[in-house]
Amino acid sequence: MIRTEELLLNVGPQHPSTHGVFRIIVKLDGEIITEATPVMGYLHRGTEKLAEDLNFTQIIPYTDRMDYVSAMTNNYVLVHAVEKMMGLEVPERAEFLRLIVMELQRVASHLVWWGTYLLDIGAMSPFLYAFRDREMIVDLFNELCGARLTYNYMRVGGVKWDAPPGWMDKVRDFIPYMEKKLKEYDNLVSGNEIFLARIKGIGKYDAATAIDYGLSGANLRCTGVDWDLRRAEPYSLYSRFEFDVPLGTKGDCYDRYLIRLEEIRQSLRILKQAVQQFPAEGETMGKVPRVIRPPAGEAYVRIESPRGEIGCHIVSKGKAEPYRLKFRRPSFVNLQILPKLLVGETMTNLITILGGVDIVVGEVDC
Amino acid sequence: MNGLLKGLGVTLKAMASPKVTTSYPDAPYVMPDRFRGIQHFIPELCIVCNQCARICPTDCITLTGKPNPDPEKKVKVIDTFDINFEICILCDLCTEVCPTEAIVMTNHFELSAYSRDELFKDAKWLSDNNTLVRQDNNNIGAPAKGGAK
Amino acid sequence: MGSFLNEQLTWGGVLVVFLWAVVFLVIVLGFVTYAIYFERKVIGWMQFRKGPNRVGPLGLLQTVADIFKLLIKEDTIPRKADRLLFILAPALAYIPAFSVLVVIPYTQNLYFADLNVGLLYYVALSGISALAIILGGWASNNKYALLGGMRSAAQMISYEVPLVISIVGVILLSGSLNLRVIVEAQAGGWFWNWNVLPQIIGFAVFVIAAVSELNRTPFDLPEAESELVAGYHVEYSGFRFAFFMLSEYVYVYAIAALTTVLYLGGWHPPAPFLDFVPGILWFILKFVCIVFFLFWIRATFPRIRIDQLMGLGWKVLLPIALLNVFLTAIYIELFIKG
Repeated sequence: MIRTEELLLNVGPQHPSTHGVFRIIVKLDGEIITEATPVMGYLHRGTEKLAEDLNFTQIIPYTDRMDYVSAMTNNYVLVHAVEKMMGLEVPERAEFLRLIVMELQRVASHLVWWGTYLLDIGAMSPFLYAFRDREMIVDLFNELCGARLTYNYMRVGGVKWDAPPGWMDKVRDFIPYMEKKLKEYDNLVSGNEIFLARIKGIGKYDAATAIDYGLSGANLRCTGVDWDLRRAEPYSLYSRFEFDVPLGTKGDCYDRYLIRLEEIRQSLRILKQAVQQFPAEGETMGKVPRVIRPPAGEAYVRIESPRGEIGCHIVSKGKAEPYRLKFRRPSFVNLQILPKLLVGETMTNLITILGGVDIVVGEVDC
Repeated sequence: MNGLLKGLGVTLKAMASPKVTTSYPDAPYVMPDRFRGIQHFIPELCIVCNQCARICPTDCITLTGKPNPDPEKKVKVIDTFDINFEICILCDLCTEVCPTEAIVMTNHFELSAYSRDELFKDAKWLSDNNTLVRQDNNNIGAPAKGGAK
Repeated sequence: MGSFLNEQLTWGGVLVVFLWAVVFLVIVLGFVTYAIYFERKVIGWMQFRKGPNRVGPLGLLQTVADIFKLLIKEDTIPRKADRLLFILAPALAYIPAFSVLVVIPYTQNLYFADLNVGLLYYVALSGISALAIILGGWASNNKYALLGGMRSAAQMISYEVPLVISIVGVILLSGSLNLRVIVEAQAGGWFWNWNVLPQIIGFAVFVIAAVSELNRTPFDLPEAESELVAGYHVEYSGFRFAFFMLSEYVYVYAIAALTTVLYLGGWHPPAPFLDFVPGILWFILKFVCIVFFLFWIRATFPRIRIDQLMGLGWKVLLPIALLNVFLTAIYIELFIKG
């Protein structure tokens, strides 16, 4: 009589494909997963607790480091929450700069996702192609605010720096370059039969499950639910631009892949319109009191980051520091569906599904 | 089959394209002017207002002042000024709030050291670090400007 | 060479044979060193970067530095590992790889052995390497290594079948298992006399099965870096790891040489007016083209999944290879004999 045992495997904190220090304990029966338990917390740095001692300008560098791949959207969610609580007006030029920077950041973040996803699947070249193009965006940010990853760019009431001379032209030239590169990416990967066989039909779920688990971003739109915060609850100047929100139909990894690539195209479309409508002059900072002291009360704002819906909840007691600052991080919530999706899959599909959810562990652990 | 052949064509074309490698340690990497590297301190301009130490998110600046040697002037003069570089996150909030631009960023980013003692930068090191100083400082947080914040 | 091999065996003859083997080992090691260097360079060029270019002029000493680093590393053996099998596995992976090289003919007169069953000898010995990988995975006492070893057992055994059956077409056309006779049968001056065009189906199956036998992308599941963190050789360090890498590249040499001999006409030029160029240069040129093609595939394609790999091997490649055999047999019966 053959006796088989369950194998307990640690897709450990140190692993090339878990996008950070993230651990999944899987019980394997041969190559099929019977149970998967994610364990997080290896990158917890206590941002929310530290924020109870800092005033809002000091918290902005901390928000950069939460979702380090898309730092501008994190900056924005915090300053937008404070501005909403205090009722501050942001000048138009500053708002345009914020929007342009956030859309460029969305392109950069999706490029990182694309490159690393294909590296997990086994192709080594797309990673370098994606990073070559991301390097151009990061150089643009370097010229704008002096840092390549942790920008500390937005302030309550506006932005810190105005665009240096010639910067807008560089953004304008970047857009057709990136569109050409997207065609090259499609030629390299999107039609590749091996890739399609790996990714079609994997990790399917339907719209009701997605809404139950609170998914957002491309994970929700792949099931066909048309919910994009830039369109549903417009913030910043998104109501002025026209862009499409790509939707999927089947809810599998291939739909998520196509949606994210299409989102890059739509971001480039928004950028083209924004650079055209950019006001020739204006202030970069509105009328803001010397000490930022929101009135007692709470506020919650949410925006669409590349990973999904990021929200910031501030409880203030009238002082310069928040009483409680809580971030609703999209990667943390999107991960909740992982144990359910992984049962019955093979080890290889675990990597494919985890990459398709697009998590950044700095955001999962905050 | 078609997709595979297109992919092979893309990589073959890439083989003939210009390469993006820079010869970094041999050719220095030039950063734009606004780059936030390690700070440069000018002791003569400092008025010991303590704004930089208060705004620092990680509390890495410690400074002490002493009464002005010139009996006419009331303003204090800087005595010691230390930045604990192990926890400085190069956020440049300190340059943003300095009213006299006594502390500014430079473009130096190659800062590894063999011992932790070297990472504790004192006033002498910071004032000697006067190359590649950033020109565009934009200290919008300074109280004397009377503007925002 | 033939006359020397047909003489009586004396002690002097043994010494000469031994020295030739040592010379050949040095040549193969030189090939491995520069194949690794060129692989990194070519893949770098395809990714918009220069490959290694700092160690030595143009980076030519990069592999030497890497091998030196591997040699001076600590030789760890996990405590609960099966010592004998752990030590045996790398050697068992290397020995068949080097032994099969003896039957490859380089030109009319330059060959090491003229076995009448050369092709069968090649195929038989290359099967032992599958055993070595399973041993390495099992003896490491590590779940990741075990998974990698099991995967590779399934993969290598199931791809040997289409590999061998696709060669049967060539054997039918040439009428012999002797590799020299197979190359002679492709003589005729022009490149359409080579076996690649009449046997195009067999060639396609052979190339796919060969890439799978070599454990290279897109079939490199046993060492899938991003899933199993180096698969069956995860516990090997230092010189033993170098042995696994060495045996992989010696196999690349063997497969590329075999493809040249079986399908691309060995040392024959593609056109009669080009026969002033010596045959060995044609052999090397075709060999280099095949090795470049292997590097090119590695830079471009993602990895295939284990169940899709099994499906591809048994349900697609095997029927096509059998079809090729039947078509060749019918062709020979109708056009050559009758």
